Amino acid sequence: MEIQEFKDRVFTAGQAAGLEEMEIYVSQSKHFSARVFQKEVDDYTVSVEQGVGFRARFSGKVGYSYVEILDQDSVELLVDGAKANAQIIDSADEIEFFQGSPSYPEVVAFNPSLEAVSTEERIEFAKALEAEALATDERVSMVNYAATGYSETEVYMANTKGLEQSFHRNGAIGFVSAVIREGEQVKTGARMVFGNNWDKFDAKQLAQDAVKEATSLLGAGSVPSGDYPVLLRHDVARDLLATFASVFSAEAVQKGLSLLEGRLGQQIASSKVTIIDDPLLKNGGASATFDGEGVATRTKRVIESGQLTTYLHNLKTAKKDGVESTGNASRPSFKSPVGISPTNFFIEPGTMSYDELISKMGHGIIIIDVQGLHSGANPVSGDFSLGAYGYLVEDGQIVRPIEQITVAGNFFKVLETVEEIASDLEFGSPGHRGHIGSPTLLIRDLSIAGM
Amino acid sequence: MLAESLVTDVILAALSTGGDFAEVFMEDTRGTNLRMLNGSVEEGISGRDFGIGIRIFQGFRSVYAYTNDASRENLLKVAKEAAAALSGIQQVTSVVLERLVVERFNPVRLEPDQVSHKDKVGIMKRAHVAATGYDKQITQVAITYLDTDQHVLIANSEGLFAQDRRIRTRLGINAVASKGNEKQSAFRGPGRHMGFELFDRIDVEEIARDAARSAVTMVNADYAPSGKYPVIIDNEFGGVIFHEACGHGLEATSVAKGASVFSGKLGEQVASPLVTAVDDGTIPNAWGSQNIDDEGTKTRRNVLIENGILKGYMVDRLNGRRMNMEPTGSSRRQSYKFAPTSRMTNTFICAGTSTKEEIISNTEYALFARHMGGGSVNPATGEFNFAVAEGYIVRNGKIEKPVRGGTLIGQGSQILQKIDMVASNLATGQGMCGSQSGSIPTDVGQPTIRVSEITVGGRKEAN
Repeated sequence: MEIQEFKDRVFTAGQAAGLEEMEIYVSQSKHFSARVFQKEVDDYTVSVEQGVGFRARFSGKVGYSYVEILDQDSVELLVDGAKANAQIIDSADEIEFFQGSPSYPEVVAFNPSLEAVSTEERIEFAKALEAEALATDERVSMVNYAATGYSETEVYMANTKGLEQSFHRNGAIGFVSAVIREGEQVKTGARMVFGNNWDKFDAKQLAQDAVKEATSLLGAGSVPSGDYPVLLRHDVARDLLATFASVFSAEAVQKGLSLLEGRLGQQIASSKVTIIDDPLLKNGGASATFDGEGVATRTKRVIESGQLTTYLHNLKTAKKDGVESTGNASRPSFKSPVGISPTNFFIEPGTMSYDELISKMGHGIIIIDVQGLHSGANPVSGDFSLGAYGYLVEDGQIVRPIEQITVAGNFFKVLETVEEIASDLEFGSPGHRGHIGSPTLLIRDLSIAGM
Repeated sequence: MLAESLVTDVILAALSTGGDFAEVFMEDTRGTNLRMLNGSVEEGISGRDFGIGIRIFQGFRSVYAYTNDASRENLLKVAKEAAAALSGIQQVTSVVLERLVVERFNPVRLEPDQVSHKDKVGIMKRAHVAATGYDKQITQVAITYLDTDQHVLIANSEGLFAQDRRIRTRLGINAVASKGNEKQSAFRGPGRHMGFELFDRIDVEEIARDAARSAVTMVNADYAPSGKYPVIIDNEFGGVIFHEACGHGLEATSVAKGASVFSGKLGEQVASPLVTAVDDGTIPNAWGSQNIDDEGTKTRRNVLIENGILKGYMVDRLNGRRMNMEPTGSSRRQSYKFAPTSRMTNTFICAGTSTKEEIISNTEYALFARHMGGGSVNPATGEFNFAVAEGYIVRNGKIEKPVRGGTLIGQGSQILQKIDMVASNLATGQGMCGSQSGSIPTDVGQPTIRVSEITVGGRKEAN
C-alpha cells in the first residue's frame, strides 16, 4: 500500500474509533554498506526499509504506536495501540499537534552526486582503505575494519491539523581501523569520515592517519597520578559534548535532571566558549527544515561567550516555560516518541592551530581517545571518569605516548576551565542525538590517575 | 509467516550467482514499552516490527539484504539484488525444506497481550512507591516496562525450516538521590525470557528499594581513591566485567580473524585455575536463553574456560567456516535488520569454594565493587574500562565506607590471571549487549571474586 493511501485509511479508522487528533511520521530509507577484509568484500548489506510512527489524542491524552508494514492489520494495530496507550497516560503534560509554521527554511542535505556514486566505486574506496593502511607501515598486522556505507532517508509527516512536510537527506561514511604489532605490543588506530561530498573521501589520508596514530602509541607507558593541564583533542571533546548534550534539553531541565536549571543568562562557561545549534548547516548530518513536531528549524547560540542563552525546546517544554519552540523536537526513529535533541551542534572554533595549542600548554597531557562514555559518565551530575590514552607534552613538545590512565572530572567544570580553543573543528558521525562537532580544547587541569 | 514454497524460491534466487549457502530470516514482533516518571505514566508505545533478512555465503564472503515487504515479487527481487553482489554460476539447484521440531524449554504462562495495560502499570506503580518511599533523598524515580513477543521463521539452503517464538518481559527501575547540587542514580533491570508471570517470580518492591538504597548510599559517598590495588567484585551484575573483558574476545567474530587476544590459544592456560566460565543459552526462562539461535541451531551449554584452560569459543556459521569449527548455537541478532553473528547468551563465571565473607575478611585493603555499571572493551587489545556503580573501601577485613566515581581499567586477559579468590554465591543480572549484530538481551553473572590488582581511576589519590 502506498503511504498516502495508508495515511488516509489510518486517519479514517482513527476518526471512527474516536481519536481526536492524529499524526503520522513516516521514514523511508535505503542503506548500503560493505566491509573489505584481505582484498575481498566479506560483508555486504543492502536494505530498503520503511516505518510508520503514529500518535493520537484520545480523551485529551496522547498514545503512540508504530508499524513497519503497510497492510490492513497495521491500520488497526496503529489505531488500537495508540488508543490503548493514550488511556493509561496520567502525565498532565500538554502535548500539542502542530498546524505548521508560516514558512520553512531552505536546507540542502541531499546531494544527488553522492547518490550517483556507483557501488563499485564505494567498494573500491573500502579496498583502498585496507591497501593504503597496509602500505603505510610494515608493522600493520591487519586492517580489522575497512568499510564504507551510504544511506538515504526521506521523512514525511502529516497530521489532522493540516501539517504536511517532507525532507530528504543522504550521507556516506568511511571507516578504517588498523592493528599494529611490534613484539608483544598491539596498538590500534582508527579514522572515520562522514559527509555527502564524495570528493572529500580520501582513502589514503584516512588510512595513513589511522596507522600513524597506532604507531605513535607504541611504547606507551603510564604517568604519575595528579592534576595536569589537558588538551582534549577535537574528537574527544566532541564525544564529551555529545555525552553531556542532554543537559541543554529543556526537558531535562524541567524534570530536574540538568544542573543548568535556573542558570539562563548566567556565565556557565569560559568566555572563550560559544556553542551553536545549526540545523541549516549545508549538508550537515542533522540538517533539516522541520523538526520532529513539524516546527520550522532555526540556528541559535546556546552558549554565547560563556553565557547560557537558551535551552533546547520542543512545543511541550516551550509551552511550560512560556517561550517559543527552538525547533529541537526529535524523533530518533519512527518508533520513538517526541523528545528533544540538538541538530548540528558544535563548539565554535578559535584561531590557533592544534600545534600552537600544544606549545601554549607547555607541560601537560593530550587525550586522544577515551573509553567508557556510556558507563563512566553521569549526565545528571556531569561527573566522568574514563579510561584514556594520548601523549605527554613537555616544553611544548609531544615527548611520549601514554596509556593505562583514567581521566576524571566534571563536564560543567570543563566548560568553565577552557583556556583556549583550536581552529580544527570536526564533526563525528550523526546519530540519534544530533551531529556533534568540536575543535580541540585546552583545559586548565583534569585529574589523571596513572601509576 | 511465509509458505515453504516461497521460501524455497527465494533461497534458489539468492543462490543464482554461485552462492553456496542462503538463509531466510523472517520476524513478526509485537512489543509494548511503557514509561513512568515520578509515579505518572508519561509514555506508552506499542508496535510491530516486521521484516525479512536474506543472507548468502560464498566461501568466506557474506551478503545480507533486508526488507519490510513480504510480497513474492519483492522477495525475489531483493534476493536477486543481493545475489548480484557475488559472481558465479548457480551451484545449488534444489532445496528440500524439512520442518525442524523445536524443543521449547522457555515456557510462558501469561502472554503479554493477555495482560491489560492497567495491570502492567500496576507493577510499575508498586516499584515507584517502594523506591520513592525508601528515603527522602530519593528525588526522582523512573520506571520502564517492556515486553516483546517475537515470532521467527528461519530457513536455509541445507533444508532447515524452523519456527520459534520468544517472549521477554523486563522492568527497569532508575532511582535518583539528591543532596544539595549533587545527584546519583542507580538502575536495576530484572528481566526473563517469559511472560507477565515474571512478577510472581521476583520481588518488585525489594528490587526497587535496592535501587533506591544504592543511589542514596552513593550520593552520600566520598570519591573512590585512584591507584593500582586489589578489587573485590560482587556477584550478579559484577559478571559484566567478564562479559566485556573476556566474553567478547571469545566470540568467533573477533577470534576468526585473529583479532582477539584469545585467538589460537585453545588448550592454553588463559586464566587463574580458579576460573571456570560458561555461556549457556539453555537455562529455562533466563533473559539470554533461546530455544534455537538466529541461524536455527539449537542453543547449548558452551564451556569457555575450565579451571583456567581455554576450552572453546562461541561460533556462528560464517566464522565457523574460517575457523573450521561447528556452530555452537551462539548466533544472534537484534532483528531482521542485522545479519547474525556469534554473541553471548547467558555468560558467567562458575561458583568457587570461598564465601563472600571469607573474601572480605581476608583482604587488607581493596575496592569492593558491589554493583557494576556498564563498560566497554577494545577486542583487539583486550583493554577494558568499567564504571563502579556502587563501591566501598575494604580495610583490614571489614567494609569501611562507601565510595563513588571509580572506574576499573585494564586488560581482560591479565585480570583473568589475577583472580585469586572465587566465592560460591553465583548469581546473574540482566543486560542489553550492543555489538555488531545489534542490541540483544544477555545475562551476565559470577560469584563474588577478588582480583589481586586492578587500576582504579578516580578523583583522589589512594591512601
